[in-house]
Amino acid sequence: MSKRYGKKDVLKGASLEVNKGDLKILIGPSGAGKSTLLQCINFLVKPDEGRIWLDEQEVHYAHKRNLYAYRQKVGMIFQDFNLFDHLNALENVRIGMVKVKGMAKAEAGERAVMELERVGLGDHMQKYPAQLSGGQKQRVSIARALAMDPRVMLLDEPTSALDPELIGEVHAVIRDLGNNGMTMIMATHQIGFASSLASEIIFMEDGRILERGTPDKIFNHAENARTREFCSKITEIYGER
Amino acid sequence: MPESLIAIGDALPYLLRGSLVTLIVVVGAMGLGLVLGVPLAVGQVYGHPALRRVIAVYVWFFRGIPLLVLLFLFYFGLCTALDINLSAFAVAIIVLGLISSAYQSQIFRGAILSLPEGQFKAARALGMSDLKAISVIILPQALRLSVPGWSNEYSILLKDSAVTYALGVAEIMARAHFVATRTYQQLPLYFTAGVIFLVLTWVGTKGLRLLEEKVRIPGYSTHGL
Repeated sequence: MSKRYGKKDVLKGASLEVNKGDLKILIGPSGAGKSTLLQCINFLVKPDEGRIWLDEQEVHYAHKRNLYAYRQKVGMIFQDFNLFDHLNALENVRIGMVKVKGMAKAEAGERAVMELERVGLGDHMQKYPAQLSGGQKQRVSIARALAMDPRVMLLDEPTSALDPELIGEVHAVIRDLGNNGMTMIMATHQIGFASSLASEIIFMEDGRILERGTPDKIFNHAENARTREFCSKITEIYGER
Repeated sequence: MPESLIAIGDALPYLLRGSLVTLIVVVGAMGLGLVLGVPLAVGQVYGHPALRRVIAVYVWFFRGIPLLVLLFLFYFGLCTALDINLSAFAVAIIVLGLISSAYQSQIFRGAILSLPEGQFKAARALGMSDLKAISVIILPQALRLSVPGWSNEYSILLKDSAVTYALGVAEIMARAHFVATRTYQQLPLYFTAGVIFLVLTWVGTKGLRLLEEKVRIPGYSTHGL
């Protein structure tokens, strides 16, 4: 994938191959292009160059119908949650099923309740986003994405906007997803969490993938000097967990 | 002194029937303004650059020409030239409605633009088409945010409705003037007309304040501290 904003090349030919059940984690400094890459994968950002295949089928995103159908299969979790503010938690989770998949409200409602209970928010279903904590909001957004039965989940720094105390509850949900076989690509600074869960760590800088490998390789025997430098800094700040 | 009170008392039922006319004009114009204003706003925010330019010209036209000029232009100008047989009452609602749509479109546009970009992104990420995202996620929020500005529009329209007297619409001002010139009780009658307008403004703004509370998104307050 490549993407240019004006004169600035934000993404320079980054390529990924993801197998079912993989958990690939993107790490790297701000501006490395992690977020842009994730948003190119579901075409929230239109890449200048690049092609995508899902289940061996190429995605022809120029056709709106194909694009919308594809996006239903790719769930996205944002750093700033992006819950729909005028809807309560239940309605937030339900709306995709009703308005995009065309499900009946009652049926969608039951599924929404199930998803919210699964992320531990069964008691907060009638609450509105403004009444929820950051960790709760992010869990609702995960429930909302899961309700669409996605094949892949993209997580763009899901805990970066959270109080340290609230990170754990979101990590627990993500860990659960991973254990249940969800294919995920996640950008994060939380490398302790990343190393315990990831099938592959991908280090990006300046729009390029500099190095990739197992957590052990990247954090302990990285080949690239820049990778080593970044990992030692980030371990200092975020610690091993 | 008692003469003026008698004059007011005699004229009051007649004036109050006129306030009914005024209210219908105002409600009709606000409704037309709303029905046109929303698509105009959506077109200006999300539309093709060519569409945006057309809408900008429309807004400039209806905001740039004084009400009185537009009323005369439409009623005495266009209707006569195109041989359209519309009552002054109908033309008043149409012209006020078109002007209001220009102002309301800017209220809605501001409200839409004030929403975080992430709302649209999240809607798209779920697989919603742009139109669906706008109607189900963006507009419900933007319209709620627009209620205070709308309250502004109501009080402006109420005052503007008095100008339609110039076309012969039998609203409050026309009636007050009619009685005043016949009874020579100008001061008491125009004063009464003013009071009626004040009451209508007060009732309307109070009602819209209730609407604001009713559609408020839980977790957000409608007052500061």
